[in-house]
Amino acid sequence: MKPAAFAYLAPSSVEEAVDRLAEHGPDARVLAGGQSLVRLMNTRLATPSVVVDVNRIPDLDHIGADNGTVHVGAIARQRSCELAPLVRSRVPLFAEACSQVAHVSVRKRGTVVGSVAFADPCAELPAALLALDGQVVARSRAGERVIDADDFFVGPFENSLAPDEFAVELRIPVTAVERTGSAFVEVSRRHGDLPMCGASTVVQLDEDGAVANARIALCGVGQRPMRARDTEDLLLGQRPADELLAQAAELTAAATDPIGDCHASAAFRRHLARVLTRRSLQTAVARARKEDTDA
Amino acid sequence: MSTVEHEATTDVGPGSSGRRWIGTNVPRKEDPKLLTGRAGYIGDLTVPGMLHAAVLRSPHAHARIRAVDTSAARALPGVVAVLTGEEALHHVNPMTSFCAEPVPQHAIAVDRVRYPGEAVAAVAATDRYIAEDACALIEVDYEVLPPLVDPVEAMDPGAVKVHETLDSNVVFHRSIDFGEVEADFTRADHVIRRRARWHRMGAQPIETAGAICSYDPFTHDMTVWSNTNFYNFLPWSFAGMLGVANNRLRMIPCPVGGSFGSKHLINKVISIAGSLTKAAGCPVKFLEDRLDNIAANDNVGCDRSYDAELAVSDQGEFLSLRMKIVDDYGAYFQFAHGQHGNALAQPTGPYRIGSVGYDLSAVLTNKVQQGFFRGAGADPGNFILERLVDAAAEELGIDRVELRRRNFIQPDRFPFTVPTGNVYDSGNYEPVLDRALELAGLESWQAEKERMRQQGRYLGIGLATCQERTGYSASEWWILYDKPPLPATSTPESVKLDVDATGNVRVAIGCPLWGNSPETVVSQVVAEEFGIDPAAVSVGYADSTSGALSAGPGGSRVTIMLSGAARGAAGTIRAKMQRIAAHAMEIDVADVECVDGTFQAKGVPSTAMSMADVAMRAHLFMHDNPAGEASGLVETFTYDHPFSSPPTADRKDMGAFYPMVSHACHIPIVEVDPETGAVTVLKYYVVNDSGTLVNPALVEGQVVGGIVQGIGAALMEEYIYDADGALGTPSFREYLLPSMHEAPEVIVEHRETPSPFTEYGVKGVGEGGRLVAPTAIASAIDDALKPLGVWIDELPMTPERVVEAVASAADRMVTG
Repeated sequence: MKPAAFAYLAPSSVEEAVDRLAEHGPDARVLAGGQSLVRLMNTRLATPSVVVDVNRIPDLDHIGADNGTVHVGAIARQRSCELAPLVRSRVPLFAEACSQVAHVSVRKRGTVVGSVAFADPCAELPAALLALDGQVVARSRAGERVIDADDFFVGPFENSLAPDEFAVELRIPVTAVERTGSAFVEVSRRHGDLPMCGASTVVQLDEDGAVANARIALCGVGQRPMRARDTEDLLLGQRPADELLAQAAELTAAATDPIGDCHASAAFRRHLARVLTRRSLQTAVARARKEDTDA
Repeated sequence: MSTVEHEATTDVGPGSSGRRWIGTNVPRKEDPKLLTGRAGYIGDLTVPGMLHAAVLRSPHAHARIRAVDTSAARALPGVVAVLTGEEALHHVNPMTSFCAEPVPQHAIAVDRVRYPGEAVAAVAATDRYIAEDACALIEVDYEVLPPLVDPVEAMDPGAVKVHETLDSNVVFHRSIDFGEVEADFTRADHVIRRRARWHRMGAQPIETAGAICSYDPFTHDMTVWSNTNFYNFLPWSFAGMLGVANNRLRMIPCPVGGSFGSKHLINKVISIAGSLTKAAGCPVKFLEDRLDNIAANDNVGCDRSYDAELAVSDQGEFLSLRMKIVDDYGAYFQFAHGQHGNALAQPTGPYRIGSVGYDLSAVLTNKVQQGFFRGAGADPGNFILERLVDAAAEELGIDRVELRRRNFIQPDRFPFTVPTGNVYDSGNYEPVLDRALELAGLESWQAEKERMRQQGRYLGIGLATCQERTGYSASEWWILYDKPPLPATSTPESVKLDVDATGNVRVAIGCPLWGNSPETVVSQVVAEEFGIDPAAVSVGYADSTSGALSAGPGGSRVTIMLSGAARGAAGTIRAKMQRIAAHAMEIDVADVECVDGTFQAKGVPSTAMSMADVAMRAHLFMHDNPAGEASGLVETFTYDHPFSSPPTADRKDMGAFYPMVSHACHIPIVEVDPETGAVTVLKYYVVNDSGTLVNPALVEGQVVGGIVQGIGAALMEEYIYDADGALGTPSFREYLLPSMHEAPEVIVEHRETPSPFTEYGVKGVGEGGRLVAPTAIASAIDDALKPLGVWIDELPMTPERVVEAVASAADRMVTG
């Protein structure tokens, strides 16, 4: 378990980082928290000839907000995001998702943007970002590009960044508005493992208690995180009674296209999608009814 | 001697026994070096001029090796030696195995690979990075063969053969009736039938197997530093494998970073480092990495399917037990059918069952071969037996506790011979059960269970009452053969004890530090025998040139055997010191006693000599000592198995081969989510009886650790091979071990029924937790999901299996 030889570069600015990526193209990999890349390199599943370590770039670890959007910088750690009052109060779903990533020691090192860019179809943060209609900001020598989450996730461990692009920030619209609740629920084999399935849900109710807006995304049920748009349409304008939520769960499960592995077969993942969609909706609705926007 | 003379006592600790150190929580001597990272594992060790090895492994489960091109690897700067399997045979011989069948196993495959991850070539280079780079440059031309994954398919006479030297993939089959099985089944009122499946699991020590081998081509001396166990038991077998004379081989033990009963031989790493040091002309270290170890270890346990029947009378009396077993041994037959010898030490558990039918088919497939590990074959044995008992309780409508009580062997029946011939030394099972029920506070859990049911939640209360056979005799390994290749009967344990001229005690022990506590145990025994402070006793490890014969840890034996060896050595030296002191004080030797490290006249403590006074005399004043008394105070004492007998020729009586039998009752409390299949162990209660406790804190550590490993066995640990034979669990991301998050609070209590066969009445305890926990947790899941009609017959119960069990129970209820 020793990596193949590689060149190590540690740029001190975003500009320098994108220059290095432009020079080395697909041979280079960005090193942020290293919680996935280093493991892959040690087992030689990844053999980049150049590693661009962005940890020394100042001010890339920002977590901030403006105009209804939360911003998370490229080297902001998952643990920081999970605990940041700003994230917890404005996008509680994202904080809840962060809290379920791996273990504390991993989250203290692992970055939010890194997990999103790694695009593991089972991981929590891509699904949460997708449910939240978040965006990824990419920088290259050509300038800045803002990519919607739905366009960012292409397939297993595959995103839509070009080889010379560096994901510098996430933008997440604030969900903390009236009569809105959210929930991230998952089932993993052990505490801290990647989930077999996870469901992230944001529900806004109207004044009569019917669904005004619902957003649902799942992980662990396909090639990439899945947005359950048909289910969202089904819920719209309806009162979230048990039967409706069961129907929503059924519809969501039917839309999945899971890949089985040693932890869970495709059929079991679809089963879990049904159970977890229902449970996440129940929790989100309950939170919305309390008009308590803080998860 | 019978147990009646040894009154069972619940008192733990000194006082009741008149002992000062045995039974006390002496701080563990091994802890400081382990906790501060100073133990000196193989990974920490460097020998001047040492190279590092890496191994290229087969991506295929089954393939012929057409050609291996190592030229590019050899050309890489820093590479000193590259060996294919064929080339390694110039330096080493096939690895030792204990089977009678022609199933040769090479550390590096020759001609054919038989499991995914089997070594194909090995490289020695100036560092491990270069060695791995070189492996990537080796080209192997494989002719892929059909993989055998399913043992039942492998049993088909038409199946492709794992070994051409065998007539069939059923490498071993034997069916034996111990007692009147047919007659007992004929007179039974009920026959309880169950199937059970126990999947392949491994020990997964955090420190992998490793060795440094250093060969001197001029003297032909070979020095081996390793984490093997058998350097003082079978050093000649390593010498044979390494192609050196046994009197030229020196094996030096290193502390072992976890073994869980698995690192007995670790021949693969010793053979690979040994062949490379011969080829390279300098010392070579080969320490497996995690991927090496998971794919190609020696620590995988049983992989069994049971078809089992329990014959029961109307009154709930167990009459006979019959089992048909298919056991998937993987690609080789390293320890033969030893795991079944092990299970046959206690197939009937703590119950009076008159006869046992045992039909075993050991099958070879394209998987890494079985080895021994904690439980060693009795683990699935306890699972099937306890499942049958619970099934009988359900079918006969008798409470599971009551049914056990009716069938327990009663305390006046010991020593008790089970149908296979093994002897249980002593036991008193009902008080263990009673105390466990009390400790668990069953009524309040029952109330909690009902409360949770109102909320749609499922709480389960498990129960298992199991045996732990301890202190094996070597016949375990070959007991089912008519013509065993090596019908050995010795499992000795030795220490060398010396009292130096200044009166200090030093002990060199023959066994390694395997994660247990031999230094603490030996210090306590020596302290007890001389009346000195255990902290003053120095304990070290004897290498293979010392003559300290030792089978080492394994089979829950080392505390029993070390206590015997240390007490024997201390007693011999103490007696010599008494003779010398008596001579010096001019009194009769019978009037000298050793009290608190002082040799004094009985009743006249003022007439006394210190240990130092006596020791200096012994070392330097021969003319002042009794005639014929040799100078010095040194004794190598070998303690043989205290109570064993060989099997009969027809094998219907296997003899006493595992006679120190501990017992425990486990009560786990779990919550099951039937929708997600999640099982959470909330609380765990244990009452354990492993005879006299030498150090209660250490026993508790063993029990709790074994329970956590048992949680892994019950819920998550499993080797999975895909239909194409690929290993689906190559790392700890796929092969799941329990972590602190899955470990509940465990409440442990002890009772002590001493063994009449051993020194101080000690029994073993190292495997106890893992021998009971899996089946106890299965019963807890069962109990939780009883309203849904679920019956657990497979381990581990992964979330998917739990949900499937709920679904198929629902189907049965609809159709049934």
